[in-house]
Formats: sequence, C-alpha cells, structure tokens
Amino acid sequence: MSANASMQCPKSLMDEDVWRAQLYQLLGQLLTDPPTAELLTGLASLEGDDTEIGRATKTLAAVAGKVSAEDVEREYNALFIGLGRGEVLPYGSYYLTGFLNEKPLAALRQTLGSLGIARAEGVAEPEDHAGFLCQVMAGLITGSFQGGPASVAQQKAFFEAHMAPWMKLVFSDIERAESAVLYAPIGTLGRHLMDVEADAFRME
Amino acid sequence: MDRQVKAEGRRSFLKLAATGVPAAVAAMAAGTQAVAGVSVETEQALGLRKTEHVKKYLDSARF
Repeated sequence: MSANASMQCPKSLMDEDVWRAQLYQLLGQLLTDPPTAELLTGLASLEGDDTEIGRATKTLAAVAGKVSAEDVEREYNALFIGLGRGEVLPYGSYYLTGFLNEKPLAALRQTLGSLGIARAEGVAEPEDHAGFLCQVMAGLITGSFQGGPASVAQQKAFFEAHMAPWMKLVFSDIERAESAVLYAPIGTLGRHLMDVEADAFRME
Repeated sequence: MDRQVKAEGRRSFLKLAATGVPAAVAAMAAGTQAVAGVSVETEQALGLRKTEHVKKYLDSARF
C-alpha cells in the first residue's frame, strides 16, 4: 500500500501543500502499519507550537518517547485487528452504513478508477481504509499519480465525497479508544487535520 | 478575480494552521517510504524481527 504514494514533492508545490501531503502521508503510514522502532524515534523528536496541531504533535512526541515498537505493535493489533475484530474498523463503508464493502466503497472505487488509482499489488484491504485514503490524498496533492498534482477543486471533490463524511469520526474514535496509547494523539492530530482541511476547502 | 481572492484566503489560512507542523514531520514522512522497502529492520529493534516473512504473515492476518 505504501508504494503508491511516493513523496517526491515537485518544487512547484506551495509550502502549505507540502505539509498537508506530508501529514497525510504520515497518518496514512501510521494507520496502515504500526511504526517501526526507527519511525518511533523520529516521532519522539517532534516539536510543536501552541496551535491545536502543534499541541497534538507535542503529545505524540512525548508518548512516542516512552513506548517500544513492540508495545505499539500490540496496541495497533488491539485497535485495528483484534481477535475477530479490532476496537476500531477504519473503513468508510462501515462508518457510513454499518457494514463493510457497501455502496460507499463502490462509489470510491469508481472515483479511484477515474483517477487511475489502484491498490498496490498484494494489498487485500478494501480501498475505503482510512490509511489508504490519507495516502491517496497525499498522492493527489503531490501528483504522484498519473496526470500530475490534482487541482484544489479536484482535491476538494475527493475530500468531500470520500473523507469528510466519516474520517473525523474515525479519528476521534481512535483518540478515545480504550487500547489507544500512542494512537490517542495520532487520532487527535488526524481530527485536527480533518477540521483544518474542511475549513480550508470551504474557502475555495 | 473573486476566485483569486478566495484562493489567497485558503492559502493564508493553511499557512496559519501549518505553523503547528514541525519540519521534522517532513523528514519523517519522507523516511516512511524508505522503511517500507527495507526487508529486515535495524539490529537494535526489540522483539519480533519484522522480516518479509513475518510481514506477510501479519498482512495475511488482516481482513
């Protein structure tokens, strides 16, 4: 899944698009797989200012410095995999209809098809996984899919159709999940990003 | 013209929100790609070594 959104940011990208893409990419990575020890060390070194996103980043750094990769893998499994099912099922179809693989997934597949995006080989998960969508958004911003960077109007259409209706909710569910330790501030960070994105797209 | 004004508004809004995103996120997000392609992790990693084999197993355990 991670191979489909390479982070080669063309120089023509605006700064604010670069950080958006990078934050989406990071969230996509963390939702798709638990962080490696290396990534965890990187997370622990993060700093933040006094904005909402900055404060969530500081909390994330503090927690990342206290847990081992092994702990986080266990946490990830309890959260998203579990015995039978994890605490959170981060799929759009599930959030919107109560069932997996329902109409919202079909609608998303249609959009992805028109954008020329497919799951990386060997990925069995449905495309409406929150982490996959974060990676798609990162790719749309940086233009790692065919056709170059998507226009803000295209990004807005994708965000509003496939992410806005449920992704803020999934991030707050992750934030408040019983097994969430490192993933609590990750949920906070994602929730704030969804707010910022929704407000910013409204200005377009 | 109107569109231009709107786009400016969005950009400045995003810039303001972005002050909270440290440059380190940038470095890391770039790093995650490299990590994904490496089959065996660093020596000091504790616990289960995430070799390609283990990774496949974990993947297969998902639904």
